[in-house]
Amino acid sequence: MKNRKFVLLVLIPAFAHILIFRILPILANVVISFMEYNPLGQNNHFVAWANYSKMFSDPVFYTALKNTLLFTAIAVPVNIVLSLTIAALITQLRSNKSRSFFRMSFFLPAVAPLVATSVIWGRSIYPTTNGLLNLIIKSLGGTPVNWIGSADNLLFSVIVFTLWADLGYNIILYSAGMDGIPQEFYEASTIDGAGAWTQFRYMTLPLLGRTTTFVILMTLISYFQMFAQFDVLAYQGGPQNSGMVLTNYIYRTGFVYKDMGYASAIAMVLFLIIMLVSFVQQRVNRVDWEY
Amino acid sequence: MKRVIAGLLACSFVLIAASCGNGGQVTTGPSTPGTTQDGETQGGTTAPQGSDLKGELVFWGHQEESWNNSFRDIGAKFTAANPGVTVKFEFFPYDDFEGKMQTSLLSGQGGADVYEIWGGWALDFASTGSLAAMPASIETALRDQTYPPTLGALEYDGKLYGMPFEYNIEYGGMLVNQNILKENNLTVPKTWDEMIEGAKKATIIDGEIFTRRGFDFVNWDSVPYIFTAMILSSGAKYQNDDGTFNFASPEAKNAFTVLTDLVLKDKVTDLTGLTGGEDLEGYQQLFAGNALYVPRGSWAVAEGEQTFELTYGVDFTYEALPHYGAGDLKFAAETGWSLAVNEKSSQKDLAFAFLEFFGQDDISLQHNINTGTIPAQKDLAHSPALVEAMPYVQPLVDILDKGQFIGYFNTDIFKENINDVFVNYCQGVYTDMDAALAELENLLDTAIVKK
Repeated sequence: MKNRKFVLLVLIPAFAHILIFRILPILANVVISFMEYNPLGQNNHFVAWANYSKMFSDPVFYTALKNTLLFTAIAVPVNIVLSLTIAALITQLRSNKSRSFFRMSFFLPAVAPLVATSVIWGRSIYPTTNGLLNLIIKSLGGTPVNWIGSADNLLFSVIVFTLWADLGYNIILYSAGMDGIPQEFYEASTIDGAGAWTQFRYMTLPLLGRTTTFVILMTLISYFQMFAQFDVLAYQGGPQNSGMVLTNYIYRTGFVYKDMGYASAIAMVLFLIIMLVSFVQQRVNRVDWEY
Repeated sequence: MKRVIAGLLACSFVLIAASCGNGGQVTTGPSTPGTTQDGETQGGTTAPQGSDLKGELVFWGHQEESWNNSFRDIGAKFTAANPGVTVKFEFFPYDDFEGKMQTSLLSGQGGADVYEIWGGWALDFASTGSLAAMPASIETALRDQTYPPTLGALEYDGKLYGMPFEYNIEYGGMLVNQNILKENNLTVPKTWDEMIEGAKKATIIDGEIFTRRGFDFVNWDSVPYIFTAMILSSGAKYQNDDGTFNFASPEAKNAFTVLTDLVLKDKVTDLTGLTGGEDLEGYQQLFAGNALYVPRGSWAVAEGEQTFELTYGVDFTYEALPHYGAGDLKFAAETGWSLAVNEKSSQKDLAFAFLEFFGQDDISLQHNINTGTIPAQKDLAHSPALVEAMPYVQPLVDILDKGQFIGYFNTDIFKENINDVFVNYCQGVYTDMDAALAELENLLDTAIVKK
């Protein structure tokens, strides 16, 4: 009983923090989404569903929604496949030092602040005239490409940058998952004549189920909320709003246009999308085993 | 047990609430000794007691070294003239400044007695009652001595809620790269046509990439300001009397045609300045040797000299932007940096005394020279001392009286929509120009008028 009281006491500050900084803001957001609310204005009043009906006739909202879904639909699977592949390759290395070196190398970009690396890519790698990519292309006799100033290329460029910046985190998680699989399983399967691919396909992959569930969920949530690289690389949302995602649109609506009510309504949509996707993903990837 | 839990919860709430404040310190209002805020803090000099005015004024501004030093100098002079007064300066990064000011003004907690305020922000704050109306003595002088665009956004319900110290002019001047000019055997253009011909000659395109732009007007400010100046100078208006926007006039269509043709037909620049994709902004490209003419405010001159280490008059100059068309020049200007007083300040009289001190001719002029800004006051703008200190502002000083207030609305939304429609039209999003300009009217009416 004493132990239970102690646990309760220890948990109270954490729960208070969650209540004040997580749950109450969500509730406040719900309320504000039904108001015409400008933090500077005196005439903040209830407008029922007006912000939501405005949203469904707003072409920029649909563009931002489409870009968000497209970005997530492409970037998350590519991230998972790449990080799993790289983690598997690193695990094959026999030397601990080599494994540590490659893990650290891939993880380094994840340590740097996303805003800072976005600026570096935007100012040094992607620029049309003097950017590293175009200098390489020109030296090989190719035609320079407008990487982030063109509606056709912007989203692709942001995805490439995001994968570079974010891959290391999932590589570490997958590496840890692979290291946790008992070596005896592989020894037994080798005796039974299983090759490397068969082991990966029928042992490693299924036994990484829990890791994969966690990695997909966290990556999905994180990618739906991506903001910094879009803010830096997509100037004013990019040409024809090709780099406008929901997070950027929420920020612009709330803090540039000072229309907090409408921004809150858009935020509610993003919240519901993430909640729905997380719920479905959890159900689909449920794992009932342990080793 | 319940009591223990309740006590712990209460402590948690108090700790969390305290950490939400200003660096964990509870503030009780402007000018409270010991009040601290995030950002750079500079204390003034405490003077001997005994004069009529006494107290400590808190002044908030945005971080910019030359500006901050100038404010500190003025604060020191104010203290010297009023030995019982201290001015405490606190400067914040520009990106955080509006939010800090907003939070302090709305909560009525902490904050400053005197704020450096951008005109467009006053538009939002004045109607909330958080700023103090200027007393009659200051208001009369301002209405009598300053250019109308410098007051436009500070006015609400017939009263003024700020004192401008600069004329924000983003139209009328352009940077000229003298090396490219000579390389192409050109002289500084006097007419619009001459400028465009020179720009065409200097432009270099490699495939679809502009390696040198002749006339790079495609930037956040220049497209809206040149577009509106063309409309106004042709004798038309872009805003109806009821506040709705009007871009259906022949003058607006002609202006839009001329500007979009510079990109689509004359090809003297591309859309990079508004779509992104380069490492440098347009005026920086000029300093880097990649552009001939770039219209920008005179503030860009300092960057050419200091950051790019170029010599003014040799590598580049600042010249008058040739006027388009035969009509009398008119252009739109928004209200720039000003000073405002917190309505909840316990020392409003002292704050206004500081503003009156700041508004003295010699003090204001020195501040303009120190900060490279154009004075809001008519006499000071034409002062020989100003042009002597900043000869490059002459083209702007010559046209200040041709400016009119841009309009009582959020200028960021105004500029963003003009720029978006301009880019989209150039990229073939609309079926024709009428559709583009109708869309522009609709966007602005929806975002500004009907809101």
